[in-house]
Amino acid sequence: VSTHIVLRHRGRVLEAHLAQHGGRARLELPAGRTLEAAVRREGRTIAVGDGEQAARIHVAPAPHGIWVAHGGRTYHFETPRAEEGEGPAEFAANEVRAPMTARVVSVDATPGTLVKEGDLLVTLEAMKMEFRLGAPVDGPVAEVRCAAGDRVNVGQLLVRLALPEGVPAAPPANGAQEMEGIG
Amino acid sequence: VSAGKPFRKVLVANRGEIAVRVFRTLREMGIRSVALYSDADRGAHHARSADEAVHIGGAAPGESYLRIDVVLDAARRAGADAIHPGYGFLSENAAFARACAEAGVTFLGPSPESMSMLGDKAAARATAARARVPVVPGADDVADAAAARREAERIGYPVLLKAAAGGGGRGMRLVAEAGAMGEAFAAARRESQAAFGSARLLLEKYVHPARHVEIQFLGDGSDAVALGERECSLQRRHQKILEESPSTAVTPAIREAMERAAVALAREARYAGAGTAEFLLGPDGSFYFLEVNTRLQVEHPVTELRSGLDLVRAQIAIAAGGVLPARPGMGGHAIEVRLTAEDPYHGHLPQTGRALALAWPSGEGVRVDAGIREGQTIHAHYDSLLAKIIAHGRDRAEAVARLRGALRELVLLGVVTNQSFLLDLLGDAAFLRGETYTHSVETTAWPAPEEVPDEVLLAAAVALASPAAARTATADSGRDDTDRWSPWAALGDWGRARLRAGVTS
Repeated sequence: VSTHIVLRHRGRVLEAHLAQHGGRARLELPAGRTLEAAVRREGRTIAVGDGEQAARIHVAPAPHGIWVAHGGRTYHFETPRAEEGEGPAEFAANEVRAPMTARVVSVDATPGTLVKEGDLLVTLEAMKMEFRLGAPVDGPVAEVRCAAGDRVNVGQLLVRLALPEGVPAAPPANGAQEMEGIG
Repeated sequence: VSAGKPFRKVLVANRGEIAVRVFRTLREMGIRSVALYSDADRGAHHARSADEAVHIGGAAPGESYLRIDVVLDAARRAGADAIHPGYGFLSENAAFARACAEAGVTFLGPSPESMSMLGDKAAARATAARARVPVVPGADDVADAAAARREAERIGYPVLLKAAAGGGGRGMRLVAEAGAMGEAFAAARRESQAAFGSARLLLEKYVHPARHVEIQFLGDGSDAVALGERECSLQRRHQKILEESPSTAVTPAIREAMERAAVALAREARYAGAGTAEFLLGPDGSFYFLEVNTRLQVEHPVTELRSGLDLVRAQIAIAAGGVLPARPGMGGHAIEVRLTAEDPYHGHLPQTGRALALAWPSGEGVRVDAGIREGQTIHAHYDSLLAKIIAHGRDRAEAVARLRGALRELVLLGVVTNQSFLLDLLGDAAFLRGETYTHSVETTAWPAPEEVPDEVLLAAAVALASPAAARTATADSGRDDTDRWSPWAALGDWGRARLRAGVTS
């Protein structure tokens, strides 16, 4: 029996098929790449490999993915949430959203003014550090959705720029990169 | 240090790893400990690590850990006879030290007078001048951007703007030319006001390439003893990342001169307790006094591992009227790294989440000062320091090897940390050669590891396919706020792309 698995790590997506039988796992990756090893669950770790040679990989399930640690490096494989669709499709080049839960220190964007890429729009503070959010593209400020003193959640829309003619709302540059394999 | 009047119960007016670390010494000394916790710190590691814990208010520091009246009220209710302030929060607040004295509680730190002479950077420069300690050319108090421009032209660009009342990089801005002064001045004022409650700024010459070297000292109110240096050059946005002792750049002659300067400052300020004199070390071996931190430093374990002294015990003993220890022999090499909830591969942005699995390293020469426990939620209200990992070895190579081993052993799942970056830093060729400057971290590229190892892919696939994993995940999502806080879940790919495009600092 083979299970279809989607591995998403740091924006990259890898579709694979996993077969498990008699304590061995076989993972078929794109381009004919196949990984096979003995696997055993040992409490909160998964031992991958034979006997004394096995690597003990720490695993923790989370509501929207799985965390894996090995050799001092940590990996988070995300599972998509139904309400968000497939993620990158909702990306808009003209929006500035809060990169983290934070407090708004100041807002430099004024609706109607023309800004250049990189111009300071909003300053946030989290964990006692200031983060300055700049304009992602050139254009006029269409909408300001936050004010100094507000607490904003991660992903919340702060400023929207009006896009000039001919600029696509979803830039293809990142999309292409996200479809590359992991390994 | 021989103690006079002992304390029965000590309250720690702090949170996180430093509170837990102070509780450890209190336990060893047979003194009862009291923790404080805010709404956001219910069930936090420090709140569970003391003999007693007192709830003091809202999650925002201004509603809890920074409230002098609330902290003193908690001390009175708990019957504490001394308060350890840790670092940050009220630790360098002379008004708090004074309020403690008025409330009849011993403040485990220097007198308000010493703090005023040294804690404020402008006052510290004047104290240094009296003690004949060299300072960086600059201006003590700049009223506005125009005044800052005039002073900068006098001493020459580039210059640094700094919070007169602060430390740790907040309220600090590098200004390369006159045109950038206006915005930098406004930002520094704002950060200074938010972090320290004072918008006063000072300005000084920018020494380059510079190392950050500091001297730990203990004073008893009249005399002082120096405990060698710590080099803390590896910083990002003026936040220290790695600290070590001895410094690869400090010769015996430099060390002796720096220690003499630190002791002179401590004597001039009639300093009682543990303090640190910070210096900039220039490429020609000349050094300039920066400031005195009138409290225990985050990186104090580096000195403890080399000297065998417990600096918290020394603070308590000095406050109880004990005498200074002789300068101990300093042995081997010690290195500390700060494990933070920051994504090293996306602009070191603060991360929130929940510690789903946690296993600290151990072994010969390895010390962990942890501020979180498994299951704890890491939120955005406080600084991003989760734990300090410190290693001691006979020489630098052994300390590096032990620290790398410890970081490979450390497991923390559920929140993105800088663990992987710390491993890269400890393997960096320039670091291994001892070429560590205050600009090193920010002028080096630290690419994210591209490859996911085969065994990790296999384990992830097996875990994702396992019904047990799915069950746990479903059960978790109903009662926990990890989902809401998780930057990965909520941010998604578009959010990270947005960061690349939009974050300018």
